[in-house]
Amino acid sequence: EKFVDYSPKEDYIITADDYLKTTDDYQKMVIGCYSPLQWLWAVPVIGDVASDNSVAGGENATDQIPLQQIDDYQVVANNGNLAEIWKSCYEGINRVNYLEENKLKLDFTGKDALYGEIYFLRAYYYFELVKIFGGVPVFTDKRLSVSDSRALTRATKQQVYDQVVADLTKAIAVLPNSNIQKGRVTKFAAQALLGKAYLYQGKFTEAAAMLENVVNGPFSLVTNFRDIFLQAGENGTESVFEIQYSNLSPFFDWDNAGRGQGNLAVQLAGIRNLTGDSPYGQGWSSNLPTQNLANAYTTGDTRKAVTVLDIEAYKTANPQFNITYQVAPYKNTGLYNQKYLPRKGETSGQVELNYLTNNRTIRYADVLLMAAEANNRATAPNDTKAQTYLNRVRQRAFADQLHNISLTGTALRQAIWDERRLELAMEGDRFFDLVRTGQAAGKITGFVVGKNEVFPIPQQEVDISGLTQNPNYN
Amino acid sequence: QEIKVTGKVTDESGVTLPGVSISIKGTSLGAQTDALGAFAINVPNGADAVLKVSYIGFVSQEIMIAGKSTFNIILKEDKTSLQEVVVVGYGTQKVTQISGAISVIKGEDIEKLNPVRAEDAIQGRASGVTVISPGSPGAKPTFLIRGIPSYSGNDPIVVVDGSIQTLDDLNSINASDIESINILKDAATTAIYGIKGGNGVIVVTTKSGKTNQKPQYSFGSNYGVQQVMSTIGVLNATEYGAIINEGSVAAGGNIIFPNLSTLGVGTNWQDQIFKNAAMQSHNVNARGGSEFVNYFVSAGYLGQDGIVGGGDKSFFNRTNGTVNLDLKLSSKLKFIANTSFVNIKGSGVPENSINSVISNALNFDPTVPILNNVPNTYGKYGVSNNILSEIYNPLTQLADTYNESNTNKLYGKLEAQYNILKNLKVTARYGYTNTDVTGKGFTPLSYYGDAHINSTLDAAGNAKTGAHNNVSESKTTYYNFTFENFINYNFKVAEDHNFDVVGGYSLAKVTGNSINGSRQDVPFNSWEYADISSATGVAPTSGLNVGSFQYENRNMSYFGRVNYDYKEKYLGSFSARRDGSTTFGANNRFAFFYAGSLGWVVSQEDFFESDFFNYLKIRGSYGITGNDNAQRQIQRISTDIYSYGLGQNAGYTFGNEQTVAGATIGSFKNEDLAWEKQKQMNIGFDLVFYKNKFSLTADYFQKNVSGLLFIPTLSLYLGSAASPFANIGTTKNSGFDITLGYKEDFTKDLKFNTNITFTTSKNEVTETNGGRIDGGYYGIPSQNVTRFEKGFTPGYFYGFQAIGLFQNTAEITASPTQANAKPGDIKFADINEDGIISDLDRTKIGDPFPTFTMGYSFGLTYKSFDFNTFIYASVGNDIYRAYERNLNTTNKYRGVLARWTGEGSTNDPNNPRYTFSDGNRNTRVSSRYVEDGSFAKIKDIQFGYTLPSSVLKSKVISRLRLFAQVKNAYTFTKYSGFDPEISGGILDSGIDRGAYPQARTFSMGLDIKF
Repeated sequence: EKFVDYSPKEDYIITADDYLKTTDDYQKMVIGCYSPLQWLWAVPVIGDVASDNSVAGGENATDQIPLQQIDDYQVVANNGNLAEIWKSCYEGINRVNYLEENKLKLDFTGKDALYGEIYFLRAYYYFELVKIFGGVPVFTDKRLSVSDSRALTRATKQQVYDQVVADLTKAIAVLPNSNIQKGRVTKFAAQALLGKAYLYQGKFTEAAAMLENVVNGPFSLVTNFRDIFLQAGENGTESVFEIQYSNLSPFFDWDNAGRGQGNLAVQLAGIRNLTGDSPYGQGWSSNLPTQNLANAYTTGDTRKAVTVLDIEAYKTANPQFNITYQVAPYKNTGLYNQKYLPRKGETSGQVELNYLTNNRTIRYADVLLMAAEANNRATAPNDTKAQTYLNRVRQRAFADQLHNISLTGTALRQAIWDERRLELAMEGDRFFDLVRTGQAAGKITGFVVGKNEVFPIPQQEVDISGLTQNPNYN
Repeated sequence: QEIKVTGKVTDESGVTLPGVSISIKGTSLGAQTDALGAFAINVPNGADAVLKVSYIGFVSQEIMIAGKSTFNIILKEDKTSLQEVVVVGYGTQKVTQISGAISVIKGEDIEKLNPVRAEDAIQGRASGVTVISPGSPGAKPTFLIRGIPSYSGNDPIVVVDGSIQTLDDLNSINASDIESINILKDAATTAIYGIKGGNGVIVVTTKSGKTNQKPQYSFGSNYGVQQVMSTIGVLNATEYGAIINEGSVAAGGNIIFPNLSTLGVGTNWQDQIFKNAAMQSHNVNARGGSEFVNYFVSAGYLGQDGIVGGGDKSFFNRTNGTVNLDLKLSSKLKFIANTSFVNIKGSGVPENSINSVISNALNFDPTVPILNNVPNTYGKYGVSNNILSEIYNPLTQLADTYNESNTNKLYGKLEAQYNILKNLKVTARYGYTNTDVTGKGFTPLSYYGDAHINSTLDAAGNAKTGAHNNVSESKTTYYNFTFENFINYNFKVAEDHNFDVVGGYSLAKVTGNSINGSRQDVPFNSWEYADISSATGVAPTSGLNVGSFQYENRNMSYFGRVNYDYKEKYLGSFSARRDGSTTFGANNRFAFFYAGSLGWVVSQEDFFESDFFNYLKIRGSYGITGNDNAQRQIQRISTDIYSYGLGQNAGYTFGNEQTVAGATIGSFKNEDLAWEKQKQMNIGFDLVFYKNKFSLTADYFQKNVSGLLFIPTLSLYLGSAASPFANIGTTKNSGFDITLGYKEDFTKDLKFNTNITFTTSKNEVTETNGGRIDGGYYGIPSQNVTRFEKGFTPGYFYGFQAIGLFQNTAEITASPTQANAKPGDIKFADINEDGIISDLDRTKIGDPFPTFTMGYSFGLTYKSFDFNTFIYASVGNDIYRAYERNLNTTNKYRGVLARWTGEGSTNDPNNPRYTFSDGNRNTRVSSRYVEDGSFAKIKDIQFGYTLPSSVLKSKVISRLRLFAQVKNAYTFTKYSGFDPEISGGILDSGIDRGAYPQARTFSMGLDIKF
């Protein structure tokens, strides 16, 4: 009867029993905790499409249906993009938890800092979840197994934030200030994220204190705004945290299109059937900036041309490129997301799936604006500091001091909020900022108060796990 | 007074028959013919005695001795099925003694059909079996024995001369080598195969020689031409231009074709891709035997070209050689060696997807000329300025399709049989299959137009930035064996109680291992140089990849069976088997299966006196079989940067460094996974009536599957690791299998036979424990069409119900809220009556499986002429029409001509307005695309002429038959696509993505026997 005994070694398969016996195993598993970050390509897209910044675009109403629903404020619970975000965040959390579960198995040099990285990552995943869905199931002690299916319930929003704060606090204590490897989590990244998490909870005093660490950190604003979004500008002096994408390991799997090393959001943003000698590649004419966004920029603001590309104007201005393209067939605005447009030579293999463009997740400018807001709204407001931080951003945008703002109080607050839009447009913050600051209903057509502050829990999760759906999504 | 009677027994062709039993009626005296067919017997009462001559497979004779002392007895072959012997698991049994459910197909029927794959001959000829044949040369059909019990594979196993193989192996058997195919359907007959038998068993017996048989040679050859049966109505260039204009204008755009009058009819791309394709087969074999050696030797060749693209791009060529030897080493020891070698060469074109050649032919721009007629531009074939993604010129695609595969396969068995006693036999059998497959594919740089996203060449014919051609090669070896040892013992108790006992054990192993590689930058962008050794790409960015896999599954079992009969009147059979499988963990590694059956031959009873009914048997069986068709339970560590198809990326890239491979848990494990179990009940009867001319066999079955193995949908918060198999769910199948036969010899010259089979099966998922499986994508936008869900047929169609068209805005306002609907758009049913049309309103919109299938065969011989025809019908199956790409500017199905053009123009929900801006999503999964796929197909028409011996006048050739044949002559159906027969996995059944249609074949051939 030994004939039917089986060992995975027969098939050269490494199992969990064989693993986490060397430092290298731990380091590899930490890398694995980073991977799901790349699968979250749709989060920034949703952050703009759901807001007044952009529309879903695409080929027609049946192209990118999940984004169309979000754009049209007809989101139903079986939205594919939302389900993928949910699943990806929880995969990241489970990967971190597996290391947590096996923390005591081996001791080695550098272990604490390594665990600091994964605590940051877990906080990041929970923060994305709470931002998008509100209260979600929270678990931290182990990787779930099959028997945990259908066993969990939703925590409150506050409990999720508490977990985010706890993880980041632990991470900050052990993380180094810098890392030779670009894109590795640093102490400043954790402080910036914690500041942001406080801001989202309305804990402005804590936010101001925490963000101050980063403001005084080793960062500086890149002189030319445009350079931030070029390949050469990745992981630059302004970068606090970037989700890394790459074209070095070409990916071909259309069944899991967003799970490779490439940034799918870039392919979405591209101009349809573009030909000619411009630096841009073709794409799916999705996530198109609105005229409303373009109009928000005042004369002299260098950020406008970097943020929105008016294709007709660009074509006329550059006859030497011999540009031809297909007008966006659906929801055309004539404008494209210039910050994340596909560029020639920046992909490989299956071209649609392998754009190397990093997601500029937390920029120093964002930290300055958050710090400005926190100082303005803290229990003991410091508007001078708030103005200073705000004006650093504006001085870069206008390349002068003439556009400095000297408002105070709520007028200053509004100015900071407006500045966030101009600075961070098409980087995925707008919708969440509008919700967080209570402006959403006033700015977004179709936004229903008491419903659209969060997106629906994936229908599959409601069906299978019996989680309570968010209000008014049935 | 006692006299000595001697004689010789031969068959009708004069071949002597050894081993014929000669007995004297009313006594226990008897004798057997020797190797030369001669016998001698002393008869006590020579004047009145009657000799009873009987031999398996021949009609028994009773001969009055009447004082004669020498007899030349000619036995007639028994063509009534009742005398036949059927191969069952680990033994044989007379048909009359079987109490389980078996369908039998004879070699001559198979041979007559000239099938490419042997199982094509089973379609419609074996009741209870549903075969859905694909059109692609050499491809495997969907094969269901008694419904769809399981989710994880429904293929029956194939047992060739006792050695266990798979359905995939059937395409390597030369149909003319087959003596018979038996299909074991119920638990009583399949339980002895245990886990392997869960989905039914196909028992193939190949030919062998007979002791002291004179050498017989036969040669068969046929040649034919295949063509497409029908094409799909798409728009011609003028109609296309008009519709595209209309769609654009309706969406607020411009006129795209300002001058329709210049367009003409344009190009119908289907006419360009479908070719007449050759098909031929040639077989030669010899059989015979001496006292010590029996042999069967054959060689065959089959060549089938594909009708899509023709023989350059699509073919299946098979060369077979078989040697079957029986060696009698002593009176007790027999050694059998069956050996077959097969070589298959094949090549194919992209099929059954939105990127297939057929899909491109249906959807590509009809205004484009076949050849590029623009002077001084690159490319042989025309390019479209309107379609710039996904769909492209199918001729360019065909020209750029390069692949080939070569399969060498050696299979057979080595078997030793030792008769310890006359009725006690020990058998050791080693069955093996070794398959080596090498494959190569080449993706050249292609040009589909300058602005086309899939072009990898620019308008000047140079490679675009970052574009490379690619060659991939693979070598795979599959090796399977079964090693079985068993004892057969038969004995009688008190004269009339007959027992036939078998017991033994079996070890089985299935292995596969493969190594594959690919490399970019083949010189000259050419197939001629396409090889990894000549390509120049360098790892990692320019693509030099290697990979490999290996697996091994093992099973072991103990089995036993007792067959019992009392005077061939009361029948019983009981079998049991204990199986072990490497698939399951220590807790559930072994499982026990059993089955029993009872039969009553009513016509053997004394009280049964009927001139009308010749034979009646009533049968019943019950038993359990199993299935271990699941992945192993391993918590695997994945160190892949990404793993294809699973989305399990575990790599990351810091800055501009190389990608770092990470690690993660790649799969869950379910320690409690256990065997899937099928309980099957069968009742039926066999009836022969009206002078043995009519036969009727009917069975009712019910199959309940519990612990259904499938991958359940787990809570999403478990993350993305591969979900494990679980024993979730149950299914229930029930149905009738009925076969009715009639044959009549009107005169010596005019003979007639006909056969009808009728098969129904009702399949229902009865429990899924909350799990549910979505399956069967249709094209783009990727939407699921099929579902596996409690309360429904497995793989039923799921979508919106289209109920009409909105005629005006008032109607839209008055109807349940349907986002973005405009007049002319489809109105969908508000199934949940919540006043809003949403995904929650999706419902059952069709069932891809037929209510019943039927086969009807008809044969007539008149003197030297014969005529045969065969019709197969499938009723009640739906088809989801999914071959339309539905891009704004792709070509359309002609139905669009009946579209809504204004209030009151039409209310047919299948024909909404046409617009580029389809806010209502008229193309969503809905009943709009569901069509009735019922059909009746004339599968075969054949005329034959056998040269009468008076004409033949040959001492060498004993028989010569010429024939002409039409396969797939005509299909009666309402379905608008190529072919309503669409094969695929359970969750893909009935989705027509532009499936490769079956070809109509005209052929001629001859059979010669020496």
